Order: sequence, then C-alpha cells, then structure tokens
Amino acid sequence: MYRKEINERSPLRVFERSIQGGLGKGNVGVVMSRAGAGKTAFLVDIALDELMRERKVLHINIDNPVEKVREFYDEIFSDLAESQKLERRERAHLVVERNRLIQTYGRESFSMDKVKEGIRLASEHMSFDPEVIIVDGWPKFSKATDDDVQELVNLAKQYNCEVWVSARARREDERDDRGIPTKISRFDSMLSVVINLEPHSDHIRLQIVKDHDNKDAASLFLELDPRTLLVKWR
Amino acid sequence: MSSKAITELDKIRNIGISAHIDSGKTTLTERILFYTDRIHAIHEVRGKDGVGATMDSMELERERGITIASAATHTEWDGHHINIIDTPGHVDFTIEVERALRVLDGAILVLCSVAGVQSQSITVDRQMRRYNVPAIAFVNKCDRSGANPARVTEQLRDKLSHNAVMMQIPIGLEADHRGVIDLVEMKALIFEGENGEKISIEEIPADLLAEAEARREVMLDAVSMFSEELMEAMLDENVTTELIHEAVRRGVLTRELTPVFMGSAYKNRGVQPLLDAVVRYLPDPTQVENTAIDLDSDESMIVDNSPDSPLISLAFKLEVSPYGQLTYVRIYQGTLSKGDSMVNVRTGQKLKLGRLARMHADQMQDIEEAAAGDIVALFGVDCASGDTFTDGKINATMTSIHVPEPVIKLAIKPIDNKASANMAKALQRFTKEDPTFRAYLDEETNDTIIAGMGELHLEVYVERMKREFAAEVTTGAPQVAYRETIRNEIAFNYTHKKQTGGSGQYGKIQGVIMPNEEADFEFESKVTGGNVPSEYISAVEKGFKSCMARGEYVGYPVVNLKFRLEDGASHAVDSSDNAFQAAARGAFREFYLQGKPIALEPVMLVSVEGPTEFQGEILATLMQRRGMVVGTTEDAGFVRIDAEVPLSEMFGYATVIRSATQGKAEFTMEFARYGTAPAEVAEELREKWLEKKAAGSN
Repeated sequence: MYRKEINERSPLRVFERSIQGGLGKGNVGVVMSRAGAGKTAFLVDIALDELMRERKVLHINIDNPVEKVREFYDEIFSDLAESQKLERRERAHLVVERNRLIQTYGRESFSMDKVKEGIRLASEHMSFDPEVIIVDGWPKFSKATDDDVQELVNLAKQYNCEVWVSARARREDERDDRGIPTKISRFDSMLSVVINLEPHSDHIRLQIVKDHDNKDAASLFLELDPRTLLVKWR
Repeated sequence: MSSKAITELDKIRNIGISAHIDSGKTTLTERILFYTDRIHAIHEVRGKDGVGATMDSMELERERGITIASAATHTEWDGHHINIIDTPGHVDFTIEVERALRVLDGAILVLCSVAGVQSQSITVDRQMRRYNVPAIAFVNKCDRSGANPARVTEQLRDKLSHNAVMMQIPIGLEADHRGVIDLVEMKALIFEGENGEKISIEEIPADLLAEAEARREVMLDAVSMFSEELMEAMLDENVTTELIHEAVRRGVLTRELTPVFMGSAYKNRGVQPLLDAVVRYLPDPTQVENTAIDLDSDESMIVDNSPDSPLISLAFKLEVSPYGQLTYVRIYQGTLSKGDSMVNVRTGQKLKLGRLARMHADQMQDIEEAAAGDIVALFGVDCASGDTFTDGKINATMTSIHVPEPVIKLAIKPIDNKASANMAKALQRFTKEDPTFRAYLDEETNDTIIAGMGELHLEVYVERMKREFAAEVTTGAPQVAYRETIRNEIAFNYTHKKQTGGSGQYGKIQGVIMPNEEADFEFESKVTGGNVPSEYISAVEKGFKSCMARGEYVGYPVVNLKFRLEDGASHAVDSSDNAFQAAARGAFREFYLQGKPIALEPVMLVSVEGPTEFQGEILATLMQRRGMVVGTTEDAGFVRIDAEVPLSEMFGYATVIRSATQGKAEFTMEFARYGTAPAEVAEELREKWLEKKAAGSN
C-alpha cells in the first residue's frame, strides 16, 4: 500500500467519525490510562496518522529525551509499514520526520511560556507551524488548576490546532458516572474529548468517555495491540 | 597469577569506562589500575610500582586529551578478574566505540560533577543504550569548585532518563571534599594516606546524618522496586545490606537502575568503593546474552559461555605494542590454548596460536590458555579487526558490526621518498585496524586518497602517520563522498558488436534496471531457453557490477540498483565473456541517465547544546545549513537541538557555532544516513563531472 491508502484505510478513520469528525481545531483532547497502558503509543498512533498526510505535528514530551521519543515513533512506524506493506518506505519515513518536531523538557523546566517560545522559534526559523500538538507527560491533572488547563485551551485556540494531552489514571481514583476520574472531569467544560485506554490480558481497549457535547459517546470497536502498539479493529 | 584459564565466570567482569573528554576518565582508569595493582603487589610481593600505568599509550591521545585506541587491560579486585576495555570518547570514531561496546558487559559512566551531563555524555549514553550496556555512574571531580553531585544525578534522570539514584553522598565538596557516606552501610569513608589507599571507616558526622538518612530513604524506595524481599524487609524494618545489594544488581542488569557513586579520582577519593560496585553490580559474562550467526543454517544462535563448547571468539582490536603486534579477542565460548589451531571464519585461513597473553597496565603476562567470557591478546595472528575465530568444529561468526561507508575523503601526498614508503606502511596498518578508514589510489589524479567518518577522524590518522611512522604528508581539502542512484525503472536493449578482422565480438542483452532500497547492487537473470548462454550470464553481472564504481550522472559511486536480465542473443563464434561484459557496460552507459538519476549526500546527526538564550541563534545556524531539526530538549537553562544536516554544510561549523553563541555552545556529530541531495547541489556536481569528463577526453 502507499502512504495515502494506509491513511484512508486506517482504523483511526472510525475513531475520527466516532468523535464527530475529529477533535477539531482549537480543542483539547485527553488520553488517559493507568501507567504503562499505552498512552504514549496511542498518542504516537494519532500523530503518525496526521504526519502521513503531511500535517505538522509538534510532539512535546516531559521527562523523556528526544531520541527516546524518536525511537518510539520509529518502532511504531516500522510496525505499521510492515503490517501494511508500505511502499516507498524511506520516503514515507522522511515525510514523517519533516513534518514532526519533538520538544522535550526536564520536569522542572516545563512551562507553557517555554512551549510558546519554542513554537515562535520554530515558526520563525523553520517555518514550522503545528496543526496538532501532543503533550505527553503533562504534569498531573490532580494538581492542575483551572488556569493550567485554560492554558492548554489557549494554546489550541492561539495556534488554531488540535491539542492532545496524556493523563495518568489510578485504580483508586474517584470517578464520575462515565468512569472519568473526577480530577479530570472537574475540567469538563474545557475538554472536548476524553479517551480511556483499558488494559485487558491480551489487548488494550479504546473507549470514548467524552465526545464533545454529545451525551451518548459512541462505543468504539477498536483496540491497541500491546505487541505492535498499533490501533486495530476489535 | 596463574597462567591457566579463568573458568569461574561469575568472577569475570568485562567493563568499559565511558565518558566525556574532560571528565577525568584517564585519571580514573589510572587510579583503578593503581589500587588494583597495589593489592596485587602486596599479595605477590613483586615490589613493582604500578604508578603511571596508563591506558592511553599513544602520545597523540594524551596531547589531545582524547582516547583513540581501545586496549583491554586485565586487573583484579576482591578475587574478581576485571578486563577494562578502553572505549574511545570521541564520536568521530564510531566503529571503535561500537566494537568496544560490543565486547564489554557493563560500563562505568563517568561524569564531571561541575559540568554534569554534556552533549558528549549524551552521545556516549546513546551508544550504550544501543548495545544495552548496563551501567553504574561515577560523578568525578567532587574536589572542584562548583561540584554538585546531586545536580548531576538529577541531570542523569532528566536529560538521559536514567533511573539514577545516589548510593553515596559526599563528605565536603570542593576544597573540603574528604570522602563519601555509604548509604547502604550508613558509614563514612574517609580516604587517607598519600594516595588515598587507607580508608578509615567512621561514624557519619552529626551534621550530615539527617541528609544521609533522607537520601537513604530515597535510595531504598527506588531500589526496592527490584526486590519484593527488600520491600517486605522495609515494612518489617529489618533491611540488610545483602538485600540492598541484590536489589541494586537486579535493577542494573535490566538497565532499569543506575546507581550513582562519587569522588575525585585525581585526589584519590572514592575509587575503591567504585571498584566494589563494579564487582557487586555489573554483570558477569553469563548474564549478558550474546549472539553469533550459525553459517550452516544462517540463523542466529546464543553463545553458551561454556569452556567445553566449540570455540567462537571475536578479534575486536589490533594494536602495535612494545611487545609486537597484538590482536585482542573476546572468547564467547570454548577455550583457547597455546598451540591450538584456529580458523579465521572470514578468510577460511587456518592458523596456529603461538602465544597468548593477558595485558596488565604496563606489563604483559604469558598464559597457557583462556576460556569463554575472557578477553586476551594473541600474538602474530594475521587478521583484520572484526574477524571471528573458531576451532573449526563450528561454522559460526559473531554477528558483524555494521560498518558504515566513509563519508569524507582527502587527498594526501608524501613530502619525500622516505615518507612515501612509510606512508604505505602506515596506511596498511590503519586500514586493518579500522574498517571505516579506507585508503586507495585515485587512478586519474594518481593521488592517494584516504576516506573516513569525519574531518577529525582523518586528521588523527594524518598525525599518527607523522608521529608513529615518520610519514609526513600534505593534505588536500576534504571532500564529501557523494553517491548516485536512479528514481525510475528503465528498460534496456543493447547490442555490443565489433567486427575488425579475425574473431569479432557479439553480445545482445535486454532487461530492466530499477531502483532498489534493499541493497546496493543486485542482479538476477530471468533468461529462458538459453538465449544468453549460462556461462555468459555471470559476465553480464560482472559488467554491470563494474559500472557501480562510477555513475554517469555526477561521477560518484552508484548505489541501490537492481539489474534484471530478461533476454538476449549470442553468436556461436563471436560471443565471449568479454563481449557480454562490454554489452553490460554499454547498456549502462546508454540507458542509465533515462532513469531520473539523483545525487545522494551523507547526512549527519548533529547535536548542539548551549544556554537556552541562544536557542534562536543555534536554530538559525542549523537551518542555514539545510538542517532538519529533529527535536529540542530544554532543561536547567540549557537547550540541546538535534538536527540532521548534510555533511557538506558542516565544514567549519565549529567556528560558526562558537561565534554565534559567544563560545558557549558545543556540538557533536555522527553519520546518520545518505539522503537525496537537492537539485542545485546535484547540478553543481554534474557540471564538475562533465567538465572533468571533457578534460579527460581531450
């Protein structure tokens, strides 16, 4: 298959349709799961899908060095290329690399001002204007204030892009009736989409727990293969 | 010490000492050899003074403050045999680093307590990660002003994402640095005596007790993740040192934990506890999985470390020493004995092992035999570095280390006849030692060309020629090693025909030339019905292969092509091997340019690190050089930018980055891949090539 076909046939098209055509520009989405259940993998899946259609993705990671993030992409890309028999693999890989910018921060060094400064420099020197921003390892929701979350929304609005943020859930978290931990749902009005990753013995199930203003979030027949970390049909 | 083989594998440690240039690696190595030899001398009453023992045998290395050669030195500590494999610190010598990392089982990562994690530490760490080398860290230079081991530990966590945990805290820093507190034993270690050889074990000074207790808590929390027994013991409040050591060892072996030790090698503080840690926490040869390729089945096999299995050993380093030419080998399984015959798997050559030895810091010890897991030196063995030796009972090779093609070349000219003869000797030696270093004669210009992995790489060899071989040479400007290939498939149909009295030449071939990402050169024949007699098919392959040396587009070597021969014709009298080779060359000349040729250029992974306020300036220098920024990392006021930049744009970058950042940024670079050169670069290369061709035909 060629790059474009992989895009068109990706299970993520179903995911997109299930959340009314996607997260949407200017909006913030959350991917939550327990530690080690595949948040980063799913975020990279989303990013790769965007990158393969030449949309610019800024991947922000707190705690991991650039090469680790890059290795993550390379691994998932190569699994994707292998399973989909991707033609002109090297060129597709170059498309991915050209459209992606990774910014990583030490835990103590991260701030929204720095992110904005980074985007300004990228735009000025590299003509890089992100269409999707991934924030992996965002400081804990449990400690976040309204202002912190508002900053994420502002980021999405200011640059007119989609912002995906990871959140770690714990077993002991108090949850609302949709199953969203209250430490996250207290920001409900600011978050457009919330995805939960639920680990089972041999797969990780994707659940849409909040879908914009839709009261009944669609059931999603998708899961994450824990071996390849790719999204697949259930 | 006995000249018999060491067979207690759990008593062997093959370790490397990896570090940034100025972090004091050489001093630390010297001190390690000093302390270990000292103990040794006391036991054997040899009265030998081990001072001055050094791994950096080459004069040049000391002068530049970098280590080029990777020698292996044997020493002993606490009943264990430690082979220290010297890992070159500079990234330009990638293959040497990779070779060294290949044969070692664990490493000490040395960091400067003032400068902390620098861009080169990051490169070294990247290499260690690639080879899954478990490591312990040593924060050196605690006597220097500005020393802060706690900050360096944090940087290990943040910048290198090591699960780093302090196993000690310093007693005094800078000028007051006297020793360390061992957080496992909860004792103070004060280093006394002229050379720090006397360790006085004392109670923890009262003013440090609170800090020591807090740090111990942090350490136990981190370490207990690797041992349920320890976790339970913590709940029951009966933690033992054995439980802690065992848990740390488990964490280190899986690379999930990096225990941090500290001291000052220069001031003789903290080295002995580091040696204890090497023995305690780093893996023995059986705890690391190494694979070979069984050439009979073409499948990979895990070496079994047994001294009784068929021999598999890897020559990882050639060295000229005062004792003669040495080949360092790591034995993966089986036993090597004096007088044995071995087979060089690459050449099939059989050879007899006359002499083997263990290299101590500054003396050599002849031994009778050596067994799996050990590293020894062989005498008078003719081979290239990277060759595998077996005893002939098994047909296997240690999986080859990927040898990248050289990316830069330089013409050299000897200044006189004497230099000329010496230069030949030097080049012969270097090319055997280092597969990424090449030397050849440019047939057109009659220049000797040397090629390698970077400017510094070649510079070092030019200087070694002068110093070690008295071969003084002048050098030309460095040139990038471009390549070329095609984008589109081309069908060819070509007849080679010559009739000039006597027997003529005739060969007709038809087929396809296509781009091929898989391999540099591939040939297949789909000829049926004997239209091209089978004896000439290999002539066609040979003809095509000879074309790969130089393309018709920009005159550089051609890569990534597949040739498929589909049909053809021959003549009973006039066809010959030569005629079909000529046909292949003719077809290539005539059709190659129709395949949309492109030029390929070497692209380097460049990492620049400097204060955050220079982020814009650094980005600008990279973008001006056609850089593709991969990512940026920001921490503690410093930013590191990783970018892929064409090598041709990197000449003189050291000066540029210095002036752009007031000398505050530094950079490292290593080969990443070959990438398509932009049209303007290709055009320029093509113009030069056409000029050269025109000049040649006049």
